[in-house]
This record gives sequence, structure tokens and C-alpha cells, in this order.
Amino acid sequence: MNKILEEKDFIRRIEEISNQKVSDCYQCGRCTAGCPFAKFMDAPPNQVIRFIQLGLKDDVLAASAPWFCAACLVCQTRCPRGVDIPRLMEAVRMIHLRAKEGLFDVDKIDKEFLLDAPPLALMSAFSKYTY
Amino acid sequence: MELAYYPGCTLYTKAKSFNTSLHKSFEALGVKLNELPHWYCCGTTFGLAHDNRMSLIAPLRILAKAQKEDGRVIVPCSICYNTLKRANYMLKQDTDALEILNEHLEESYDGNEAVVHPLEFFRDNKELIKKHLKKDLKGIKLGCYYGCLLLRPEQEIQFDDPESPTIFEDFVSLIGATPIDFPFKVECCGSYLVVNSPDAAIDASYKVLKNAQANGAEAIITACPLCHYNLDALQKKIKIAHSEFNEIPIFYFSQVLAIALGVKEENLGLEQNKISPVNLLKEYKLL
Repeated sequence: MNKILEEKDFIRRIEEISNQKVSDCYQCGRCTAGCPFAKFMDAPPNQVIRFIQLGLKDDVLAASAPWFCAACLVCQTRCPRGVDIPRLMEAVRMIHLRAKEGLFDVDKIDKEFLLDAPPLALMSAFSKYTY
Repeated sequence: MELAYYPGCTLYTKAKSFNTSLHKSFEALGVKLNELPHWYCCGTTFGLAHDNRMSLIAPLRILAKAQKEDGRVIVPCSICYNTLKRANYMLKQDTDALEILNEHLEESYDGNEAVVHPLEFFRDNKELIKKHLKKDLKGIKLGCYYGCLLLRPEQEIQFDDPESPTIFEDFVSLIGATPIDFPFKVECCGSYLVVNSPDAAIDASYKVLKNAQANGAEAIITACPLCHYNLDALQKKIKIAHSEFNEIPIFYFSQVLAIALGVKEENLGLEQNKISPVNLLKEYKLL
């Protein structure tokens, strides 16, 4: 497949999984401004959206942002264009997870934490990070 | 009065104090909570992938069963509340989803079971609470922490204003304590990042706690077992990273309500709080 078709196909996959139109984003950066975890990401949320808009598949799949997104929905609440950014992050996670690339090995979770943590923390993390 | 009740998994395990204090509070108000028969996990987080609706089956099964008991169900856990309410919304907006999902449910369901948070019930029954207040909470300053899932997404949850909610403050005033409003009350505590990126959760929780303290809170109240865990259990690690940090007790709103309603100390579940609120409560002669 030539490069342009490949880029278009990647954008279409993200849009299908997320049910969002990535061209709606005009890069104002409010999502990044309000994101409590942007400082931990190698590229902040608005930049990851830019990667998606440009079809830069490798950059999107290498980004750490989807793994730091807690789906707290502050960005979704504040986006002036109505883009549901956590759904875009979920779409990127889904592409990883459906290719059987999970973020972590459940067996490696600290045993002491495992006994102490509430079940909903573990269940949420498993549903977001494992396949 | 009797109400259908869905506790969710965490209220049966790590958040027993939430479950017990809530039951006892309702009992003191003359309301019996009838737990749904054969309930199971709601799926915790609401699935955001549009092309796979499998994660909706668990919450909808719960609601379909609840519908047979009563037209409304009390759901105290923020995560369960969010998941069940979003599942309802999805079913009402998306007729394709309604058809597909009903093929997987044992009984047909149309999205009409009302999911009610205890704070909504209290807001609508102020007189009932006023009538049963036994202890004077005057002076104790409680930071009202909402977190994310009770508020967002606004259109689907319709609980309160997503940026400046007041339902918690109104509740605290109603039971006679002093509500503390603080800007970080709607910020994320770090949620499930505590499992794989604890540093991010520690950072987020630290900001919430510091901001509440800076605005005068002596304790914080919350409705979410995951927020409670992050804000309470992570304080030990916050202290290591930030030596100036002073510990602050974290309550479930139901624990404070139970105190106000004169519920016996052994039913408050205070021993489950990692940062003990006992000294603070003694200071205000509440124990």
C-alpha cells in the first residue's frame, strides 16, 4: 500500500473505533492545559491528536499518552470542538491491545499492593491495559 | 420506605466502611435498602470503544434485573454510578445498540431504570435528614471532593455542574458541618494509574490534598472508593516525596452522615481509614 493510503487507513481505523472526527480538532491545546497527567507524557494529548490527523501511525503507536490517560474526562468537558479525546486515547489503546500488546504483566504487580488495593482499581487497570 | 440497592464489588471488600455506614444512615432515616438479588460487577470503567459494545452487557444486565424490583436503584459508588448511567444513556440514544444488546440480555430492557446516587436522594429529602440529626457537627471543616466520575461526561451523567458543582457542599451544610470549596475538587485523584504508574497517582492526589488543606479543610469527604484509596492510602508515599506534607483524614460522605445521625461508633468503619480521623472527631466531641 502506498504511504498516503496507509495514512488514510490509519485515520479511518481510529475514527471507526472512537466514533470521533479527528479533523474537528483545531489544536487550541485546552485538552493539554487541563490534563492532570500531561507532564508525564512524552507527547501531550493535543500533539497525539495532531499525529493522528496527519496519519503518523508510528508516532501515535509510540506515544505514552494513552497509557497515562485515566479517562477523567476533563479534556472532553472543556474541548470547544466537542472532541471526546478519551475516546481517541481508547482507540489507540485498542489498536495495541487487539494486536495483543498489553502494557503490563499482571503477574508483576506488587503483591502487597495487590492485597491492599480496592478491586475496582485492579479491574479498571486490567480493562484498560491488558488484552 | 424501601429502596432497591446496588452496592458493587468494592463496597463488599475494601470499602465495607462505606457500605455499613450508608446502610446504618438509611436505617436511621427509616429507609430500608434492599440489595438486588444476584448482582455482579458493573464492569468498572465504561468501555469507550464504539465498535465493541460487549462491555455494556454487564451494566445492562444489572439494570434489567433492578427494573423488576423497583423503578429506581440507589448506587453509592461513583464508578458503578457512572458506568450504569452511561449504559442507560447509550441505550436510549442508539437504537442499534438497543436491538443488539437486548439479544444478549435474559430480559428485555429499555434504559428506563433510574440510577440514583445517595447524594441525590438526600438533596431531594432534606427535611427527612433534618428531622433525624442527633449530633452537632458545627465547626468541623470538610473539603468536598467530587473527583471525575460523578460529574463527567455532563450530558450523560447530569449529576451537577461539571466545573463548579455544589451538591456535596449543600449536603455538608445540611448536616451542620462547614463545607470547604476548593478548586481541585473536580480534578482527578490518579484513578487506576495507581496500578501501573503510581508516581502519576501520587502527584495527582498530592495536589488535591494540598489544595484542600490550603483552603482550610480539616478532613475530606468523597463518594468514590478509588478516590478514597488514592487520597488515603497514598499519603504515606506522599509524605516521603514531600516532607512538608501533613496528613489529613479522608471520609466517605456516609461516615460523616452516620455520625450526624447518631449511628454507633462500631458501625462507622473508622478502623478502615488508613489516616485515622479519631483525634479530629474527639476534638469536636463527636466520639
